[in-house]
Amino acid sequence: MIAAFTEFSVSSARAAARITPADPVDCPTPDSDHELMLSVREGNLDALGELFERHNGRLFGYLVKLTGDRTMAEDIVQTVFQRMLKYRHTYRNEGSFTAWMYHLARKCAADHRRKSAALPFAADPEALSKQADGSPWADENAASVDDRALLRNALDRLDPADREILLLSRIKELSFAEVAEVLECSAGAARVRAHRALGELRDHFLKLQRKALP
Amino acid sequence: MNCAQICEHLPEFIDDRLAAGTAAEIRRHLAGCQACRHEYETLSATLQALDAQPEAEPSPRLRENLLASIEEEKRALRAGLRRPAGQPSRMRPWIWRTCLQGLAACVLLAFGFLAGVRRASAPAQPAADSTARQLAELNSRVDSMGRLVSYTLLQQQKSSANDRLEGVLTSATLQRPTENVIDNLVSTLVLDPSVNCRLNAVEALYAHADSDVVRTAIRVSLPREQSPLVQLAMIDFLAAVRDRDAAPAFQKLSASALADPSVRVAAGRALTQL
Repeated sequence: MIAAFTEFSVSSARAAARITPADPVDCPTPDSDHELMLSVREGNLDALGELFERHNGRLFGYLVKLTGDRTMAEDIVQTVFQRMLKYRHTYRNEGSFTAWMYHLARKCAADHRRKSAALPFAADPEALSKQADGSPWADENAASVDDRALLRNALDRLDPADREILLLSRIKELSFAEVAEVLECSAGAARVRAHRALGELRDHFLKLQRKALP
Repeated sequence: MNCAQICEHLPEFIDDRLAAGTAAEIRRHLAGCQACRHEYETLSATLQALDAQPEAEPSPRLRENLLASIEEEKRALRAGLRRPAGQPSRMRPWIWRTCLQGLAACVLLAFGFLAGVRRASAPAQPAADSTARQLAELNSRVDSMGRLVSYTLLQQQKSSANDRLEGVLTSATLQRPTENVIDNLVSTLVLDPSVNCRLNAVEALYAHADSDVVRTAIRVSLPREQSPLVQLAMIDFLAAVRDRDAAPAFQKLSASALADPSVRVAAGRALTQL
């Protein structure tokens, strides 16, 4: 039953074939993510360590941008890999590992968000400055001339669903078809929503840039 | 293509993901259309800034935790203590060391004590009885030590989610937990903000499924639980123990539009099992 949360498959032969050895003659062929995860499923648990090495940085970066909170992002990454270990038998043979991983991350982030919203928590003062500011225009006075900081602020102003699809669409390992599978919508809808989110981000970004001008 | 169609393709054009013919057409259009060129330039600058966001580095703790979990899972599989889809743990090496050192000391003490008793007492009883009694005493001491470790971890209100999870997992291995430990497991189930902790608390409570307090706590917590994963574990628990008092909660969940579809299905199926 729990498998319903972790079972995930995409009809993506392309995904399985995406990782190809750079030099098939001299180097030993590295296993694809998909092969490694199948190996984990069959009991070679060390292969999960290799998958972690390959993906933890990018997944963490995505989640930091999504949540604006490093601690939360770390908790979610940890939960994702723990669930991979625990529910490894639910990994499907025809799947794309990356899409499955982001699908799990999405579920874990949603769980985390729901719980955080439902429970009072003692905020760590040190973390406050790093958290996404959800209040509208709350950071108007904190505008920075640094484009990266402005972009971060613009990102925080997006609707969470728009932020999610925009960030997923920027992950090079995911095609729109796979982003759509992660989000459980059609590829066309994913593409349109990602474009719309990009337009909104651009509008916020330009507005903040104008305000930051002396 | 008109301006609207051009703009629709701009993100892919910027990412160089269009067919050569389409890209060439857009390039020609941009050369002669100021509005579309402005759209292209602003979107391009935004994407550039977005992709230039610095990549954050996670803490080394993440790697340590995962490797420890993998090792623990491997040990459990080797020992036949866990099914392949079993429950992982995030034991950190220092916690392992602390627990094992304590348990090892306890085992040595128990052996010393038993050896002394054996020497001092006359061999009046049959050897089999004596061995059984010694093993029982040894188990008792080891279990006491385990209870102490678990209880201490659970009592640490300021502990991290990892430490709380260790407490839950250690509790799950106890043969005879004290009421305090069961109370703490129930508190974890009801109050802990970590889904993992709550999920593992449900699984740890299986060992105490015959307790009315435990069944009632899970039954009462089910409607308030937010995580579908934990809800599913609770439904499984209540269905497994055939808790007929859970029927109203199952009915409500199976008909709730707000519940996750998997939870609705599980609640409906659990109703038929009661």
